[in-house]
Amino acid sequence: MSRNKSKLTRRAFLRSAAVAAVPMIVPATVFGRDGRVAPSERIILGGIGIGNRGSHDLRWMLPESDVQFVATCDPQKYRAQRVKDMVDTRYGNKDCKIYRNTPEFLAERTDIDALLVTTGDRWHALASILAMRAGKDVYSEKPSAMTVAEGRAVVETAKRYRRIYQTGTQRLSEGNFTFCNEMLRLGRLGEVHTVRAHIAPWDAAEMRHDWLPAQPLPSKDEVDWDAWLGPCPWRPYNAAYCQGRWRGHYDFHTSCIGEWGAHTFASCQVAMGAGKTAAIEYGYVPNESGDGMVTRFANGIKMVLERDMGKKLWRGSCGVRYEGPEGWVAAADGYSLPDVSDPAMLGDFKKLVNDYMARTQRPMSHVRNFLDCVKSRHETVANPEVMHYTMTTVHCANICMWLKRDLKYDPVKERFVNDPQADRFLSRAMRAPWII
Amino acid sequence: MFKQRLTLILLLAVLLFSTVSVNGQTVAPASEQDKFIAVIQSQDASRKEKNDACRHLSLIATKKAIPALVALLADEDMNHMARYALEVMPDNAVNDALLVALDQLDGKPLVGVMGSLGVRGETRAVRPMAKRLESPDPMIAQAAARALGKIGNARAVRALTQALPGSSGDTKLAVCEGLFRCAEGLGGAQAVEIYDQLRQLKIPHQVRAGGLRGAILAREGDLDLLRASLKSEDYILFSAAAQATLEMPGVRVTRALNAALKGGPADHQILILGILAKRGDAAALPAISAAAQQGDKAVRVAAIKAIAPIGAASAVGTLTALMKDGDTQIAQAAQASLAALPGDEVDSVVRAMLEEGDKETQLQALALIDLRRMANAASALFKAAKDDDADVRAASIRMLGDLQGAVQFSSLIDLLLEAQSAKEIRATERAMSATCTRDAQSTSGRVTIDRAVYGAVGAGGSADVTKKAQKLVEAGAQSIEASNANFGDPASGLVKQLRIEFTARGVKQVRTVKEGQRVTLLASVTPPAYVDALCAALRQTTPDKRRALLRVLRVAQGPQALEAVRGATKDADADVRAEAISIICAWSSVEVLPEVLTLTRTATDQKVKILALRGAIRLIPLQEVSVQEKLAGFKALLPLIKRTEEKRLLLGSLAVVPAPEALAMALSYMDDNTTKNEACFAAVAIAEKLVPRNRAAITEAMQKVLKTTSINSIKKRARQVLQKTRQ
Repeated sequence: MSRNKSKLTRRAFLRSAAVAAVPMIVPATVFGRDGRVAPSERIILGGIGIGNRGSHDLRWMLPESDVQFVATCDPQKYRAQRVKDMVDTRYGNKDCKIYRNTPEFLAERTDIDALLVTTGDRWHALASILAMRAGKDVYSEKPSAMTVAEGRAVVETAKRYRRIYQTGTQRLSEGNFTFCNEMLRLGRLGEVHTVRAHIAPWDAAEMRHDWLPAQPLPSKDEVDWDAWLGPCPWRPYNAAYCQGRWRGHYDFHTSCIGEWGAHTFASCQVAMGAGKTAAIEYGYVPNESGDGMVTRFANGIKMVLERDMGKKLWRGSCGVRYEGPEGWVAAADGYSLPDVSDPAMLGDFKKLVNDYMARTQRPMSHVRNFLDCVKSRHETVANPEVMHYTMTTVHCANICMWLKRDLKYDPVKERFVNDPQADRFLSRAMRAPWII
Repeated sequence: MFKQRLTLILLLAVLLFSTVSVNGQTVAPASEQDKFIAVIQSQDASRKEKNDACRHLSLIATKKAIPALVALLADEDMNHMARYALEVMPDNAVNDALLVALDQLDGKPLVGVMGSLGVRGETRAVRPMAKRLESPDPMIAQAAARALGKIGNARAVRALTQALPGSSGDTKLAVCEGLFRCAEGLGGAQAVEIYDQLRQLKIPHQVRAGGLRGAILAREGDLDLLRASLKSEDYILFSAAAQATLEMPGVRVTRALNAALKGGPADHQILILGILAKRGDAAALPAISAAAQQGDKAVRVAAIKAIAPIGAASAVGTLTALMKDGDTQIAQAAQASLAALPGDEVDSVVRAMLEEGDKETQLQALALIDLRRMANAASALFKAAKDDDADVRAASIRMLGDLQGAVQFSSLIDLLLEAQSAKEIRATERAMSATCTRDAQSTSGRVTIDRAVYGAVGAGGSADVTKKAQKLVEAGAQSIEASNANFGDPASGLVKQLRIEFTARGVKQVRTVKEGQRVTLLASVTPPAYVDALCAALRQTTPDKRRALLRVLRVAQGPQALEAVRGATKDADADVRAEAISIICAWSSVEVLPEVLTLTRTATDQKVKILALRGAIRLIPLQEVSVQEKLAGFKALLPLIKRTEEKRLLLGSLAVVPAPEALAMALSYMDDNTTKNEACFAAVAIAEKLVPRNRAAITEAMQKVLKTTSINSIKKRARQVLQKTRQ
């Protein structure tokens, strides 16, 4: 057996790792349908706000043999129909149901165990909270909260109703990033002093506050504009928002820092054992993006935000790099293996990833980790606290850029240190009736 | 492919966002407060202007702005933005104003104000909001319930408790939410009372389970409820109790879980085992080990997997025994768990397995040494490399080579000299080659990429990636991966290769690797002691071992290694001579070219002739000579090049020779269907370097390329060359 294993290619290794680590099946009684036993061990899945990105997630979930997707809810008719078509084609029937109103959907579909929440950023936390209150487990796309207060509310709701929640920072379940994280955690790089986190190399930290020109409001049947806006300040309808051009607007987006920082901060913080805290210092940088901002954690490690337009640190998107006195490691999308300061480090690639899977009982598949946890009720890798604290670092970095001054943050009190104006950014009043 | 797509996405994103100007700054100066107050009081200001003013006030407003903002609360359009500014203001005067509004508003404005009072934790709002619990409008009743929960004092608890029996549907759930919030804020006996109430309601599972979790946690040291719930046959309640233990440290809790592990349905046992693993308390190990030994298979696997996270060396015995279980799934789980179990003590056990076990145990130990990357197993491996069993010997030798620092190079030579079978010779050769590569010392000195081509073998399309490769080197890359991520995808869906010519330490080298493999570029030198040892061994062993040593010398490279290989071309043994000659033909540096050229003419063995021809075609462009001399070298070879494979190689080498004669040679292969695409590729590559000189010849050649090839990437480049000829 060892000979076979040693001959595995990395891809084959990761493929087998994803399968081998799936925990044992617990019957559907775990799903909490008030004692009703499901006809199979399938997880009954639904969706809220599934668009382009959500379709990717759904494509990863549909092939899982223990998933049955039954319904989607979206204030935009064409998107809901697109999801239904995709699902019906997959199953060869016409059974996928469409809903347009989220509270009604949640109230009616008590059979659904878990929800895929892939709305625009403005709805991620709200939809997740509503779903968890209704007894559903949640896989939410990132960035998963617009403010620190929203993130805290997600954490509390998940605990309150003992719900399973995973945020879509899938790099926490990928071999290359896991190897880098383990190299840091195990001290193989020495006492790491610096980690570098990729931020999106487009857009800016400063956000838009304008409104796109008003256009005639479509019928509510086509687009329920009030529901689309959800808890955000009202503004007139413009079709571009519904086509993804909500990005860059303060009310709807978390800037270039949140766009990739939701992923890369999560990797860095989990790697350095700071998944349940946030950076305590933020150094303002006089540029448009936050490129080069130095944040510091209580453990002394600094995390530097990097746009890396020159591609010197990474060769792909969402890169991370950890630097210590005994070497460095880096990973980004599209790598077949991580970059390392010494090729000998890669000799332990398989071992470190295997050990991680054995230690955490998590597979190298983010979706599978969620589905397994729905059954086993174990904590996911991108659990609510990891999401909340990494998004807290995102929010604080943004606030630092908006206020154009250095900031100190207390992750325990969840307030800035002696800066009441900065505190005002930590929550936003929600629009009725979408108040959590 | 991915990189190309990413680049496209980034480009589109940059274009999209670069057209958008940021509309106003996020934080206005505090001095502008009066201006914003005036805007929200204005009859003429638009909704957008008022929204913006409220947004700015949310960050800078003082007490002075409160009256103007409060005046907007009754306006259904502006209520939200008024609260947007008010809700985050620390001034208590905001609460006073919101309390006044609470009595005056209805509908969504009322819902909003209740929400803001809840966020601000204003206890004076409890009494008026309690009345709203009875509202016939569910939206208002539910908002009141949640807001009361945020405030969370004893009075709020009473109001919510009283409302609970009479509520139904979503309103009941909102009242429960309010009670949860109260309990979380209050803690202690009050929390216990609330949670006990919630867990006993006939309402959805998440509330009952959440109530039980809270009730168990709020009881702190009292574990009776936990123990009782862990015995529940209702999985919802059982799992809620089990999950709650993840938030409860301490050995007493572990013992409660251990007790619950005995008996009970498999589902329950599996969940408990997962939780024990997560808790990592060694006090769970005896119970887990017992569960691993017998019973339901799924439970046993869960128990075995739970051992590694706890990480106790005392479990090694259990796991090693289970590795021999007749059930493959059990055995594999045990091996994986043992592989992940940390500690020197485990390493000692594995070494003992190798030294003292039977063959099966030894092979298991070797697998574990591999998985655990046990460099500290060198002496045990070395001993096992001389084991009576051939399989154990070969596997041990291979492992010695795999583990960095596990063994001295001279010891590997000794093992080769003592090898008893072809299998062992191969294993030793592999170990020595791996050690040479790994221990090669990087040397300082600039690495220059002379030419790099990435693409599919044959007619699949390829791209000149010299500049990209050079950029990677300049960015500090010590090796380059043949991947789409680095070079794009010139041949979608096909397996590609990277051919890279580079100069390191003044020595020209050429390497070709398949997609997914890496080319190491840093000039590196195998430690001289290794080469000395290889050369010395070459003089004192059998032919089959001499051949293995020669192959290792090829990996080692360098002048001394080359001299040894050259010497072996005169070996008494014919097979050794043949091996040496084939190694010379494949040598990566150009100093062997004269003898390779000689072989192309003098070799009588057809196989040697082909190898020499291929070597010559590969090495001619690497010479530090004029273009004309390189062309002369190629021309001299032409009569010998008969087969398609060598014709294609020739065209690949011609592509780096920027001369009209090279272009003409490439054209001569375009009419042959088996070489036309390679010829077109070479012609375009040559023309790109020649243009704008030789316009007429290039125009004619590119037009022929366009007619001949069907590969779009080549056509595109040909058109670009044609365009340059017209400039």
